[in-house]
Amino acid sequence: MGKSKLKRAKGWDLVFVILNGIFMLAFVVITLYPVINTVAISFNDGIDAVRGGIHLWPREFTLKNYVTVLGKQNIKTAAIVTVARTVIGSALSLATNALLAYVVSRKRFLFKAQVSLFWVITMYVNGGLVPVLLLYKNLHLTNSFWVYVIPGMISAFNMLVMRTYMQGIPDSLEESAALDGAGHFTIFWKIISPLCLPVYATVTLFVAVYQWNSWFDAMLYNRMKDEYTTLQYELMKLLTSVMQQGGNANNMKSVASGSRVTPVTVRSAATVITMLPIICLYPFLQRYFVTGLTIGGVKE
Amino acid sequence: MKLKRVLSVALASAMTLALVACGGSSDASAPAATDSAAKTETAAADNGAASGEIIDFTFFGAMPQAEINDGNEIQEIIAQKTGVRVKETWLTGQTAAEAVGTILASGEYPDLIDAGDASVQMYEADALVAWDDYLDKYPNLKEMYSEEEWNMFRQEDGKIYWANVFCNTYGDPKATGHNDEAFWVQARVLEEAGYPEIETLDEYFDLLEGYYAKHPTLDDGTAVIPYTILCEDWRYFCLENAPEFLDGYPNDGSVIVDKSSGTPTIVDYNTTPTAEMYFKKLNEEYNKGMIDPEFATQTYDEYIAKLSTGAVLGMCDQNWDFNYTIQDVFKSTGLDLQGCNYVPLGLTAEKGQENRWHTYADTLNNSSGIAVTTSCKNPDAAFKFLNDIMDQEIHDLRFWGIEGTDYLVDEEGLYYRTDEMRANCADEAYKASHMCQYSYMPQWLGTSRDGVNAMQPSEQYSEFVNGMAEPLVKVFEAYNAKGYPDLIGSVVEENGPWFPMYSYSNAMTTDTEGGVAWTKIGETKHEWLPKVVMSSNFDGTWADYMKAYDACNPQAFLDEMQVELDRRANL
Amino acid sequence: MSQETSASVKRARKKKNDEYKVKTSMAEVKRQSFLIVTSAIFLVYGFIFYYVPLGGWIMAFENYKPKTGLLHSKWVGLAKFKFLFEDATFIRVIRNTLAMGVLNLVATFFMAILFAILLNEVRTTLIKKGIQTISYMPHFLSWIIVTGILHDALSANGVVNEIIQAFGGTPIMFFSETKYFWPIVAFANVWKETGWNAIIYLAAITSIDPCLYEAASIDGAGRLSKIFHITLPSIRPTIMILLLINVGNVLNAGFEVQYLLGNDVIKSVSDTIDIYVLNWGISQSDFSLGTAAGIFKSVVSIILIVIANNMAKRAGEERLF
Repeated sequence: MGKSKLKRAKGWDLVFVILNGIFMLAFVVITLYPVINTVAISFNDGIDAVRGGIHLWPREFTLKNYVTVLGKQNIKTAAIVTVARTVIGSALSLATNALLAYVVSRKRFLFKAQVSLFWVITMYVNGGLVPVLLLYKNLHLTNSFWVYVIPGMISAFNMLVMRTYMQGIPDSLEESAALDGAGHFTIFWKIISPLCLPVYATVTLFVAVYQWNSWFDAMLYNRMKDEYTTLQYELMKLLTSVMQQGGNANNMKSVASGSRVTPVTVRSAATVITMLPIICLYPFLQRYFVTGLTIGGVKE
Repeated sequence: MKLKRVLSVALASAMTLALVACGGSSDASAPAATDSAAKTETAAADNGAASGEIIDFTFFGAMPQAEINDGNEIQEIIAQKTGVRVKETWLTGQTAAEAVGTILASGEYPDLIDAGDASVQMYEADALVAWDDYLDKYPNLKEMYSEEEWNMFRQEDGKIYWANVFCNTYGDPKATGHNDEAFWVQARVLEEAGYPEIETLDEYFDLLEGYYAKHPTLDDGTAVIPYTILCEDWRYFCLENAPEFLDGYPNDGSVIVDKSSGTPTIVDYNTTPTAEMYFKKLNEEYNKGMIDPEFATQTYDEYIAKLSTGAVLGMCDQNWDFNYTIQDVFKSTGLDLQGCNYVPLGLTAEKGQENRWHTYADTLNNSSGIAVTTSCKNPDAAFKFLNDIMDQEIHDLRFWGIEGTDYLVDEEGLYYRTDEMRANCADEAYKASHMCQYSYMPQWLGTSRDGVNAMQPSEQYSEFVNGMAEPLVKVFEAYNAKGYPDLIGSVVEENGPWFPMYSYSNAMTTDTEGGVAWTKIGETKHEWLPKVVMSSNFDGTWADYMKAYDACNPQAFLDEMQVELDRRANL
Repeated sequence: MSQETSASVKRARKKKNDEYKVKTSMAEVKRQSFLIVTSAIFLVYGFIFYYVPLGGWIMAFENYKPKTGLLHSKWVGLAKFKFLFEDATFIRVIRNTLAMGVLNLVATFFMAILFAILLNEVRTTLIKKGIQTISYMPHFLSWIIVTGILHDALSANGVVNEIIQAFGGTPIMFFSETKYFWPIVAFANVWKETGWNAIIYLAAITSIDPCLYEAASIDGAGRLSKIFHITLPSIRPTIMILLLINVGNVLNAGFEVQYLLGNDVIKSVSDTIDIYVLNWGISQSDFSLGTAAGIFKSVVSIILIVIANNMAKRAGEERLF
């Protein structure tokens, strides 16, 4: 390779870096705007916010929206349940999906195509609200905590993401371990898993966020059980009640006027409150898929 | 038919596995429920308050409402007095039909329920306890309706399963507000025109045009919007149902009931000459630039934001849909002092025609209400509770609060609130921890049993006039009105026993031809009405719309409504 | 040299997929007993939680009423399907759903990959982490917030029209012309989900052996050439798998975005299958109709992924099963 080519490459690199910088800047501005806007509205007086036109900074500052959200009853129970389901749910999902992904990513496995197909189909079919409810009821999952973590435990999507990653790991590692007499579980645990931390972190994040944001299952299966309520369900209830501006024509009574919070501001505060913990958790997982860990050496 | 067989075989095999268990248990639970219900009925009488123990019931309302906290202060007081505490849960993130469908499927009902439009489903599934045996035992319940009115709640088996709790007046009516639909106009527009009598659509738009010509912008330069129309989703009533009122008919919702021939007859208000006149007028005004060019695409939030700037001179809407929010905004921005508050007008198609925009009499909506389910272990205690909370003392606790804390009594025995109390009662946190209205349980409007106060604060005159801005006061003086109904001047008369017909059409399903037609009509109107208003060739677009409308088979819908009307008229 | 690198990356992949044709024999079964038993346990789980509820599909063939339940409701055969396919509106909503599904798929897919690769080219770890954190935040905003902001920005006096006017253009009524709606929906999806979707690709990028980049640098490959010959081929399996999964999802173009952004004027392009089901099924207490539409969607999805999977197989690409 000639020197001139090297130089040309360097020149193009500079152009690339500049263009990339511009792209990233534009991207950050565009994606950050709705987030900042939400934060600004969450600190704004509700009645004032009705007029619209709040962009990056609150116009009439207030903490009332946060007081309303945090003052919701059950919010403590809900927070505990939500943390529990997030931790237990993520752990269970990670363990089972990883094991299943290991099995179907083995190239010698006789039934890998059939087992994969079995799981792929689950992504596209759905029995509907009522049959699922009946099933859970018969399994005694309704009115219990376990309905949050058992039914959705294995998801074909997460499993396939892991499978793809595991297939990219050189077979030689597995083969040499097998020669040393290691069984499948040992290979899975000692050889494959340590190499899969980036994808494990990814799937954990997906599951954790799903668990953190879930509310429909709490509403459907634990409707009358306050002890199993979740954070998002409580916020959802709060929101729908604030939103109720006499919308039901049957109920022609005046809805209390004079309250200074509105759906828009309460929703924003609720969003900020639920977003915060995930953002705090994020750096711990992020190091796996942004800087990455690499097989034998620091990547630059 | 091969496909069918393959499908049914495949499904059947999956089914057997799924449902052997399911079917078994739901069959088993049904008799168990009725069993225990029967048993407790006998034991019920000496249960409850007498023994000093508090019974806890659950309630589900198939509509979104604010939850109250456990240990709510007034709830506890009521529990001490009645021996019953009810834990309320409300609709969240589902439609009423969906929620009730899943509750029925699960077989676990709450003790009490208001299933909204899905009430009939609860009845059909034998999930409700009949009121008949309890009505005579509990006078407060019985008192809610006359014999004829109670009959309207009877289902096919001749029994009563629920009672609607709203719009039911005790003694003299106290209403000073108009919570229904109207054409609204800002007080300052009327003031500038010298408070003229506005009776027709033409006069109404002349009024708006006159003001707009002189004031095309607000002081801050915002362009004035003479008229806007909200037509987002289910709120498109702001556009679609005015023809019914313009012809002088009351709010039957989906149809007009014409009594002129002696036998009440269903008339379709979508195709009347008045409908065409109304949309033609809107089209004309739109092309003149008097109507908000963005009306058809605005969201509800954007609509409210526009109104709250004071730039919109008028619109057609239900009071509850905008006014509570807008009055608050105007008060906090001072726009109320500039005369931005909206005043309702009772327009008609012809000058001098009678109007029925305001419903004076109670609207009895028999399609939904509070019900006791078969899961309730002690139905007698439940009915007793529903009865007890209508006692004046408890009714006052529910709606006024605690004397001295939430309201005061003056020398004449009139209840009133201070500004601080009013602010408290509007505060979400205070309401959740202190106030307990049991808002979907039996209650009264109108005059309290003491003869002077209103049953509910929203109807107390002192609450109505409190803090009213000067321009609004002047409007009331100019038209010599004591409240909003006087401004509209609707005819005072009893509605027929069929009123309101929307209680039937709301519960229609696609099981019947008429139900299918009803849904299709809705879809077609949603699609066409904005087009009609914005058309540059009204007659052509109207003809196209009418063609699309006829294709929905509206006659099937009207026929079913007629059958129901005949049934109700002969009750 | 770079071409060679990419070719070798590809070849290694291909070999892995096709090399192992294992004969079924007792000895092999015994050797794989761990794999077989483990997958069987998961199979039981999957059957109970994903397949058993499909018994509910029977609802689509009857007039389901809560009173009579799944087993005793009136059997109506294919009437519900007939109702759907005889309604011109349903055909129209299928078209809308498909169009938006494909548009969303292409847009979000392309943007996520592009973003992941470009982010990988940012060399300062702190900045890289910062951008990445910001990029996935909109995922946590609900649709109602995002569509609200978008609706504002695109309204007659919103920021976009201000820019258009500043450049001497005439304001555009974005929400009253049918031609803008699908692109707006695609943009909304890209806006909200790009950073989130990119996470999987970022994880895949971390597994690339740095030696490949070093070797390429020594040979004088520029950044673009490294992207095209190392990064892209290396994450190709991930891209393929996600592409296949998403192809099956084109009929799930959604409900909320269209519901929140659509309006009566552009109903003809904004209504999707899910909105149709809400209007005709759920709000009429008709669970059967919704189930019928759901079965239709499932069947189409499965047909689509089987076709796509076979195409991938023939092309020697990564595949689902």
